[in-house]
Amino acid sequence: MSPAETERHHRFLRSFTAHEPAIRAHVRRLVPARADADDVMQEISVVLWEKFDSFRDGADFRAWAFGVARFEVLAWLRDRGRDRLVLDEEVITKIAEETTAEEPRLQRQREALEHCMKKVPADQRDLLMQAYQPESRIQEVAQGSGRTVAGFYQWLHRMRKLLLDCIRRALTQEEVAS
Amino acid sequence: MKPDLESLIEAYLDGSITASQMQQLNALLLINAEARREFAEILNVDSALAAMAADWTQEQAVPQIIRPVSRPARWLTSPPWVAAAASIALFLLGGWWWQDSQRGFARVEKAAGITNLREGASLRSESVQLAAGTVSLISARGARIIIEAPAEFRFESAQRLHMKRGRLSADVPPAAKGFTVITPSGDAVDLGTRFGVDVPSRGAAEVHVFQGEVIAKANGAPAKQSLRTGDAVMFDTGANTSRELRSAAFIQADEMRELTAGLAAGQRVQSDAALAELKRDPALIALMDFESDESLPGVFRNVQGRWPGSHAPEFVNIGDHLKLDVGSEHDWPQLTLAAWVRIDRLGAPYQSLLHTDGWSKNNPGQVHWMINRDTTMRLALIGNTLAPEANERDGHPDSLIPVLPEQGRWVHLATVYDSQAKTVRFYLNGQFDKETRLAIAYPARLGSAQIGNWDRQDRKLSGRVDELLLLGRAMSDPEIRALHAAGNPYR
Repeated sequence: MSPAETERHHRFLRSFTAHEPAIRAHVRRLVPARADADDVMQEISVVLWEKFDSFRDGADFRAWAFGVARFEVLAWLRDRGRDRLVLDEEVITKIAEETTAEEPRLQRQREALEHCMKKVPADQRDLLMQAYQPESRIQEVAQGSGRTVAGFYQWLHRMRKLLLDCIRRALTQEEVAS
Repeated sequence: MKPDLESLIEAYLDGSITASQMQQLNALLLINAEARREFAEILNVDSALAAMAADWTQEQAVPQIIRPVSRPARWLTSPPWVAAAASIALFLLGGWWWQDSQRGFARVEKAAGITNLREGASLRSESVQLAAGTVSLISARGARIIIEAPAEFRFESAQRLHMKRGRLSADVPPAAKGFTVITPSGDAVDLGTRFGVDVPSRGAAEVHVFQGEVIAKANGAPAKQSLRTGDAVMFDTGANTSRELRSAAFIQADEMRELTAGLAAGQRVQSDAALAELKRDPALIALMDFESDESLPGVFRNVQGRWPGSHAPEFVNIGDHLKLDVGSEHDWPQLTLAAWVRIDRLGAPYQSLLHTDGWSKNNPGQVHWMINRDTTMRLALIGNTLAPEANERDGHPDSLIPVLPEQGRWVHLATVYDSQAKTVRFYLNGQFDKETRLAIAYPARLGSAQIGNWDRQDRKLSGRVDELLLLGRAMSDPEIRALHAAGNPYR
């Protein structure tokens, strides 16, 4: 690589690394499973780098990347998502637009998770983390916890719901305080 | 049965959702914004949990069998102390959150010669009036919008900009696709990537597509029109009328950078000083800086010149011209002509810089200064003949280097005529270009003349002229160089 290219690559990596969690979360909201999000993220990172030339210095990298991500998600759905049960394009477009605008609040919610997780008893926290391990098999984790798979999913839903409630309460409290 | 959003989302996340449930979920999400919000927030928690789990180390993972509690977990519902702790934890996040939520529809990237907008300032839906200068804005979605004064505009959202008047160029990245400019006479919707909108103080707005595709719709027009690279239209009462592309009429990012740097370097002060000096030159015939309040005879638009708030005539429509009548008191054995011009496009076979009206065989020495179709510059005096060794294709002294830059830019054109030395010398941006030798060379004759046109279909200049100089002596190479350097708006 020439020095200019190296510099460009560094600039890209700095921006991409800073915004990767937000981009991943954005993608996750649009595809059915976490593994799908991982899939699409690989595509997106390649496309972002390829198109980085067209990205203007000083522009909003995250907004740009969200736009690219939406197109990649739609392309992925048309391609590999054809025989899966997925969100309609129209719904995806709406959610993508709305959550792009809402991203500051959504990011704040993600950051508040850590705070709410501290309130979860250690054993349950560990179980949640096991279930969310990148390569985890829900069946094994469910068995390990002495539950049926259906029962374990029920428990996961309840946990997510309770965590979201905690997050919302915490943020409301914060808004009142500020 | 009314579909229960929560159970639909659960099935979707489990991967156990059926086709008919998926249909229900899609239908619900399509019509109900509240449902979309709930959906997005649950998935947001899901991705936050996954991110947290990815950092979870094996030591933390507990190997033994754990039974999840079946009762509602009390730890999450105990409000007072949780909320208090949350406030403290989130106070730390509060700083940037506050800033972010206050973020506007666009922020000022660069402001050249603008007093009421600060660089870095954030714009929301307030109306902005620019009397002078040029501003570069970045929308919240990353579109770069450059607006030249005089202008009046306001953002309705990051994606919708109302232009009451002014001239704008937009560079729209994929994330801002659909960015729309609303003018009093029609709308332009960008589908990517670069376009310009000109909203003159009087008359209909125009849309010019530099690259990509734009949907244009004149108010009251029955249909939208798709414009592609190189297309331009005017929003003419209820219809789109085709125009010729004038991409160079719009200031774009590269030029904006150089203009800002030029201003910051104090170029304008230099230029004013040089003009004051020129006005004291005893050989001065005319120096038109277009800054006086008296209206000049002719048909043209009065737009911004090289400097914020300065004026320049712009020739857009067939027949546009500016008249002047100077230097008829006697003949001029030596003559220097110089001007800052901004050519929008190549159009007519010849673009007039200065054409004297008395051009005829019986009136030798009448002056025609113009830009040729191949974008070289020509100085013709009627009755003059070329020296035998002069190598000219057209029988007139023509410059060598094309004077039209690839992108919109102000260029400095100059030519020095010396009937005694029998030479015509051309200069582009202060640099000597070429000398043509003559066999017969009459002293130059001036008088009534036109700038930007010459009573003929084929002489219209497309663009602006700023600071036109007529000097009754031959300027030297260093003088021309200094003239350009002093008046150069760029850095």
